Amino acid sequence: MKDLSVKVFRFDPGCDDTPHLQNYLVRLNEGARVLHVLHAIHDEHDPSLSYRYCCGSGQCGSCAIRVNGQSVLACMEEARDEITIEPLELPVKKDLIVDMEPYLDRIASLVPGTEFRMPTPEEVEAIKPLRSCIECLACVSACPALKVVDFEGPTAMREAMRLSLDPRDSCDRISESVSEGLFTCTSCQACWKVCPKEIQIPGKAIEKLRELANKKGLTLPRHQAVAKLIKDTGRSVDRIGTSFLEQVPEVLEPYGAVKGTVGFFVGCMYNLRLPKTALDAMEVLRRNGIRVIIPKEQICCGSPLIRTGQLDFLETLKSRNINAFVFRNIDTVMTMCAGCGSTFKNDYNCPFRVMDINEVLLKYEIEPPARLPVKATYHDPCHLLRGQGIRTQPRELISKVVDLVEMPAICCGSGGGVRSGVPEEAAALAENRRKEIEKTGAEIVISSCPFCEFHIQEHTDRPVKNITTVLLEGYHEKDRKKTQVPSC
Amino acid sequence: MRSDAVDTAHVLVIGSGGAGVRAAIEASGYGETLLVSKTLTGKGGCTTMAEGGYNAVLREADSCEIHFEDTLKGGAFLNDRDLVRILVEEAPQRIQDLLKWGSVFDVTDCCEVAQRPFGGQRFPRTCYAGDRTGHEMMATLVDRLHNTDVRVENEVTIISLVLDESRVSGAIGLDQKGGMRVILADATVLATGGGTRIYDISTNSSSGTGDGYALGYRAGAELIDMEQIQFHPTGAVYPYDARGRLVTEAVRGEGGILKNVEGERFMKRYDPERMELSTRDVVSRAIATEILEGKGTRNGGVYLDVTHLPRSQIESRLPVMLEQFLKFGVDIRDVPMEVAPTAHHIMGGLRITMHTETTLPCLYACGEVAGGVHGANRLGGNALAETQVYGKRAGEAAGKVKERKKKVDQKRIETEEERLGTFFSGDVPPSTIVRSLQTAMWEGAGIFRTGPELEKTLGIIRHLHTLHPRAASEANLAECCILQNMLVTASLVVRAALLRKESRGAHVRRDITQNWDAEHSPYGHTFLSLAREGIESGGRA
Repeated sequence: MKDLSVKVFRFDPGCDDTPHLQNYLVRLNEGARVLHVLHAIHDEHDPSLSYRYCCGSGQCGSCAIRVNGQSVLACMEEARDEITIEPLELPVKKDLIVDMEPYLDRIASLVPGTEFRMPTPEEVEAIKPLRSCIECLACVSACPALKVVDFEGPTAMREAMRLSLDPRDSCDRISESVSEGLFTCTSCQACWKVCPKEIQIPGKAIEKLRELANKKGLTLPRHQAVAKLIKDTGRSVDRIGTSFLEQVPEVLEPYGAVKGTVGFFVGCMYNLRLPKTALDAMEVLRRNGIRVIIPKEQICCGSPLIRTGQLDFLETLKSRNINAFVFRNIDTVMTMCAGCGSTFKNDYNCPFRVMDINEVLLKYEIEPPARLPVKATYHDPCHLLRGQGIRTQPRELISKVVDLVEMPAICCGSGGGVRSGVPEEAAALAENRRKEIEKTGAEIVISSCPFCEFHIQEHTDRPVKNITTVLLEGYHEKDRKKTQVPSC
Repeated sequence: MRSDAVDTAHVLVIGSGGAGVRAAIEASGYGETLLVSKTLTGKGGCTTMAEGGYNAVLREADSCEIHFEDTLKGGAFLNDRDLVRILVEEAPQRIQDLLKWGSVFDVTDCCEVAQRPFGGQRFPRTCYAGDRTGHEMMATLVDRLHNTDVRVENEVTIISLVLDESRVSGAIGLDQKGGMRVILADATVLATGGGTRIYDISTNSSSGTGDGYALGYRAGAELIDMEQIQFHPTGAVYPYDARGRLVTEAVRGEGGILKNVEGERFMKRYDPERMELSTRDVVSRAIATEILEGKGTRNGGVYLDVTHLPRSQIESRLPVMLEQFLKFGVDIRDVPMEVAPTAHHIMGGLRITMHTETTLPCLYACGEVAGGVHGANRLGGNALAETQVYGKRAGEAAGKVKERKKKVDQKRIETEEERLGTFFSGDVPPSTIVRSLQTAMWEGAGIFRTGPELEKTLGIIRHLHTLHPRAASEANLAECCILQNMLVTASLVVRAALLRKESRGAHVRRDITQNWDAEHSPYGHTFLSLAREGIESGGRA
């Protein structure tokens, strides 16, 4: 037996003005789940606690709740001490019970056609990964887009893709999904990271639907323009000044002894829009003994094409980029754009190792910078946190130089082609970020993705800086202190 | 009673599992249909948790006659033969409905529905969608339901049937806040599922509280064979609070083997021919015996091992099992599972005809709440088939009932209001009574039974009935009603177990020696109603 102290969200709209968190002490068996915490409270402390559950074995999707902010199934999540149990981020009916029906009703139904044909084994295999959904709505709760625009939501998109794969369905699911908000998904990956069945909705449903929409000529004009730009120039953004690649030699030697060598894939944004940031990063690497090889023939990684379903010349981009590094016998390629890194790691089949710059810097145990008297908050780039599972490394680096105040990890709205395709949504999401930033009281915002940095900077009055820029400032401060002649 | 709280429909379906939703879909073709669910439709009940499969004769080499014989033999010849005949003949058509509506079953290279072997069957006729077959069916059925005119009332608990003279004319329910709802209907379908939540260790979802048996019994319907409780051989034993969680028969169907703590494959001593794929009653007793004889694991189970199977087979055919055990810290690709019997299915239930008519006019029953199809032991894969075959029949029969003028049974409403009123002055939390009941049933009316133990258990149930459950608020009223349903269901099980003075199928009386086998038993169904109780003679039901 073990004793746990938990906080539970309580709210009865019939008599409470506002919700509150209630503390409970419960005694449970080894291995007990969060659901058993709720049973214990209901049976032994307060029978008025309302919560849903049915199967108790992760199969019905009735009991999704949030534990410490994360959507989970109460029946499967192990109960731990000091947890906070809250309802999903949906309209609350009472305590942990949310109104699921309006969302469940949005999920499309198969409409049988006049002719029946059994799916082939290949079709069944294609549908299966999208079919195990238990409609717990954890994804709907976690989706940031749903909070700012009208959108059918992740699981409705999953079902649309499942139906489009089924020879028995007679409807045009592609056009339907476009009108139901297919292009409002920022591909932030929040939905599948909370999915108890690990259904990859962004990659397996949304991007695939966008691909089918592309074949039907339904790609948004602004996304088509980006594709044309990439086809014409090899870059997803146009030229406004001297690029990063034009400012650096092919090999950047470190200042001291060589501790390691990496190839560098710069990406369109750092190359053409934020070259100064990439140059800052190079300085940090050189100072820490890392030799950087920068093949000049590298081009766009293709991420904007994959996210928007325009795959026509993706393979050309992939092979040109891969060959650029293979030709130079590079065994580790470093990215500093979270989007490029996620694309290399998840959408490419690389014959070399791919590491984000945060991983590289920690691997080589960097020289400590001077501490700056600044309070900073960190914005987790979706393609770094969820796309590459990188959470602790940036925090470790930031904490070496400034004081870090946390804020919730939510998409800023710049990804998935939303900034170009649905700008009002991107702005609304960034506005939510601005509010969170303000709540922290931080003087600067730090991130590790050019899209996030660029986009958030447009919506906040605090400076938004890349991690490496802040590290470099720490080094400059260190150097300044050293060269200062002590006055006596 | 406010008049605006009175709702009417041509057909009222109570229950939203496989049978209930199938019945509602069918009934909607005949008139206004209202489906009332204690949970959210598609999430409650046990269909969505059913993992293994759906039995249907689909191949030339198989035949309905063999399925019929397997089912009778598996059911220890207590099955109602007409009901079995219909089950085996219509199961293939009903799976065809599901396929037409979009079910994604596994298929063979020739695009036929794939089938796997299940216990007690001479042909591999269990159709499946990995190990989430019931979930696949439920997803399809709910999908289809949305394409009909059926009205759905979610999270309303039916607490009583209402009668117009002897005819069932609807039901009374409580919504989530405890508000009373009266629904009048020309025909009422009970599709409330099973009730093995009356046992301490059970596979059932929270809704498996036997509501339908109690509602039917209290309204005057007759129930048969309520002593026949299927203990599924393989329930999880860890973690303690999730004990009883179903470990699908598909694990053994795919080649899983059972071993005691000494590593011995003990089924060879109980059924050398069929081994792990013997019928569930036999395997459950074998496991229980091994554990009783001290050959169980520390957690009180035996080993169920699939580590010899290719990892890819486990991943593709048993994904839910793999995922569930991983969550509890066990990788079944590398280490054996630990399992023990768990109360799973009630074979008995309301007595029905081929058209699902109960003994009360205008009341129909389908799915687990009905009795007679499975006899004294259900074959794995026959329950999902039953939900579809008899769900459709119930919807059709109920739909065809003549419309008539509906009137409110004021007296019944007053009786119910009175009953609910007493809960506010009760003094025992319902959960306390439930726990006592579950322990008593597991100890006194489990796999092995004796007359004195059954009598003692009945005494405990009667005592629990005299306690006064307390409703902390209006929203807790339904809990008190459900508790009373559990007590009624438990007493029906124990009374029937006392009536059957023989061992047959899942019902084992250790205090009785008999000189006949199941096929030559002098007994037929046990029966219980408000008016009479007994056991039929003449054998061969």
